[in-house]
Amino acid sequence: MTSFLRKRIVSSAIPLVFVVLGVFCLARLTGSPVDLYLPLSATAQQRAEFSAAHGFDDSIPVQLWDYLANAAQLDFGTSLRTGESAGSMVLKAFPVTLQLAGMTMLLAILGALLVGSLAAYRPNSLIDRIAGLLSMTAASIPDFWFAIMGVLVFGVGLGWLPTSGTLGGPEIWVLPIATLLIRPFGVLVQVVRGSMVGALSAPYVKVARSKGADPERVVFGHALRNSITPVLTVAGDLTVGLVNGAVIVETIFGWPGIGKLMIDSILQRDFAVLQAAVLITAVTIFALNILVDVCHALIDPRVRQAVPA
Amino acid sequence: MKSSVPSSPRPERGRAHTVLALLATGTMLLTSACAVANSDTAGDAGSADGRTLRVVLTQEPPTLEPCESSLTATGVVVRSNITEPLVERDPTSGKLEPLLATGWRQTKPTTWTFDIRPGVTFQNGRPFTAKDAAFSIDRAVNSDLACNVDGYVFGDAKLDVRAVSPTRLTVTTEKTDPILPLRLSFVEIVPRTTDTKAKVRIPIGTGPYAVKSWQTGVSISLARNADYWGKAPAYPRARYVWRSDASVRAAMIDKGEADIATALDHTSAEAGNTVAYPNNETTALRLDGREAPLDDIRVRKAIGMAIDRKGIIGALLGGLAKPAAQLVPPGVVGHNDDLAPAPYQEAAARALVKQAAADGVPVHRRITLVARNGMFAGIAEVTEALQYEMARVGLNVRIRMADTATHLQYQLRPLPRGVGPVALLIMHGNQAGDAAFTTSQYLQSDGPQSTFGTKDLDRRIAAADALSGKARQKAFADVLAYQNTSVVQYAYLAHMRGLLGLSPSVRYRPDSATGDEMRLSEVSPATAGRR
Repeated sequence: MTSFLRKRIVSSAIPLVFVVLGVFCLARLTGSPVDLYLPLSATAQQRAEFSAAHGFDDSIPVQLWDYLANAAQLDFGTSLRTGESAGSMVLKAFPVTLQLAGMTMLLAILGALLVGSLAAYRPNSLIDRIAGLLSMTAASIPDFWFAIMGVLVFGVGLGWLPTSGTLGGPEIWVLPIATLLIRPFGVLVQVVRGSMVGALSAPYVKVARSKGADPERVVFGHALRNSITPVLTVAGDLTVGLVNGAVIVETIFGWPGIGKLMIDSILQRDFAVLQAAVLITAVTIFALNILVDVCHALIDPRVRQAVPA
Repeated sequence: MKSSVPSSPRPERGRAHTVLALLATGTMLLTSACAVANSDTAGDAGSADGRTLRVVLTQEPPTLEPCESSLTATGVVVRSNITEPLVERDPTSGKLEPLLATGWRQTKPTTWTFDIRPGVTFQNGRPFTAKDAAFSIDRAVNSDLACNVDGYVFGDAKLDVRAVSPTRLTVTTEKTDPILPLRLSFVEIVPRTTDTKAKVRIPIGTGPYAVKSWQTGVSISLARNADYWGKAPAYPRARYVWRSDASVRAAMIDKGEADIATALDHTSAEAGNTVAYPNNETTALRLDGREAPLDDIRVRKAIGMAIDRKGIIGALLGGLAKPAAQLVPPGVVGHNDDLAPAPYQEAAARALVKQAAADGVPVHRRITLVARNGMFAGIAEVTEALQYEMARVGLNVRIRMADTATHLQYQLRPLPRGVGPVALLIMHGNQAGDAAFTTSQYLQSDGPQSTFGTKDLDRRIAAADALSGKARQKAFADVLAYQNTSVVQYAYLAHMRGLLGLSPSVRYRPDSATGDEMRLSEVSPATAGRR
């Protein structure tokens, strides 16, 4: 297991490094923040002083080296917008997104296991067809459209839910989670169904059935356990994708999470915050990937043996 | 007896761990969810208790620093709510009204004297005196803080500011400035204890409200200033939240989650809950006269003639605008009532372009039409319409939609090099009410937002800026007419109108300053049947 972990960490760390370096360089290609932060009358000297004070006058390799050296000491710099520590801004925003993403994936997995299993239990039945239609629709609906429709229908029309915001009772979670949930749920139902259909036609299930095993136990006890591996793998990938979805959800519903922070930082050329947000998000995703791999390997020992040296 | 068939060599304790992990994760997330979603069931903007005025903005203010209040996002919260200037401009009449100064006069050609209002205290309890006013002006204009108000309102000017007594202030300029009191209406007054080395996050002022809390990313809460020198505002508390999507802002009004929503668009707003108002913003294409084919005045004039203003306003802006013939709207000193929008003349425009082509102007060189995302509702469609209309008269146009920072690179000097001819879609808001602020920025040869000009135009602008009263009005009106015939740096589109969402529970009449300075003390609870 240790060898497996070491290999996975090395292979997963490579994209992490590329993402962090890529964002650092691409951010600088979008132009200097000087115009955004200095008034029209700023003199050339003031512009030069601003650039020097924030290190923008150094070459990109020098800026990168400074960034990495400081980041190694957990110093991510200061926000140009707020003057706050970039690291603390990210650490304030991150739990908001993490909660949204975590709740969403938990509900998506549980819901997909239930619906996908039921659909697979009776292939081509009415429930299977309805599940297929719903999951395909869910996987295809654009997040922003669903969010706005949710606000108009359940917020304004029916008056059941608040339109947006982060303060209030459990009802504030419904629309953001539903918006984030819809795509992973749709995809996972398909994965669970496909995987379960295969598992339910496996010889050991036929044997179990022929011995008169309880149908629920066959489905949820035996077939589901063998089908869970691809579900976990896809769920891991979808969790990573939830950060993208969070941008939409947090922007529309006014959630001060990492997605909104990233967008604001890009628009405001707040490089320190953007870099801190990307680095911390990338490390989290890296850790999530490792966690998924470990779960995967625990469930299926063949995975541990399949990782190339 | 029922049997079970082992499916894999994985030990049973692994499954138990997975289930436990799922349960633990779920419990943790649910617990943390409850921690974030606290017991306040009123939502971010607060409850409709009649004592809290709930305002939803388009974005979180980047700062509440008073010297940055000429930034719309900052000014709409700070100006005349938290801090106040010496004088304020009546947005309807255009006249200057006393505020923290009770009177002012020009005591020398370059010196203005202000009488300071006695009996005013700051929100920290300190008395307001002429020394505080002098300090505030020095801090905003003469310091190294790089305040936005410095660049936007005062340019390179340096001021000599002196408190000659606790109730008298003199301000001396390097050369005669007939509109100095108007410029000073942009300087928000802060106490002498304010940081001079750095911009402040929570400002202290003399206004009717003080900042109670700023929950970053969520809301800003204000509380009524009990010691306010003027009439107490109707609402004891005010709370700002922000939602970037116009349909959500409109929904918050419809649902009763907010009392006022800024910058709605006609596609998502309910007519019964909105009020349209002129917001002093003018949209236009700035044509880069340094680059062919835009260096030919015939081509620039042709673009102005190719724009179907009425069609665009009717079809894409919901009718909420008026065709423009100049950069400043009515009500601004210098507005020329005699200028009429160029009529839509596609054939004549095409003929002008052909004429230019016959003289060797490379009219097929690709022009980049740069516009900023979110500048106004429907900007993408308007940009496409402009591209289509310019193409119809024989020009080759591609669109580049940009974010604010990228748009600023095109907008401000030093202008980008090697990008070819650019038609920049701008939206200019003259919140100061005098054409000097427009001409110095957008028309002068070396104006920070101008691509070119002429010596004659520069001379006319300088001469107009030295005048006052009716002579000033006429001179600037002539400048705007001259630009349209002899320079043609702009192809105008429209004088825009804003759309404000208003709950039936409040009474407020927006004016041309509302977008930049929403005075909460002018909002009151609606009485039955009245708005």
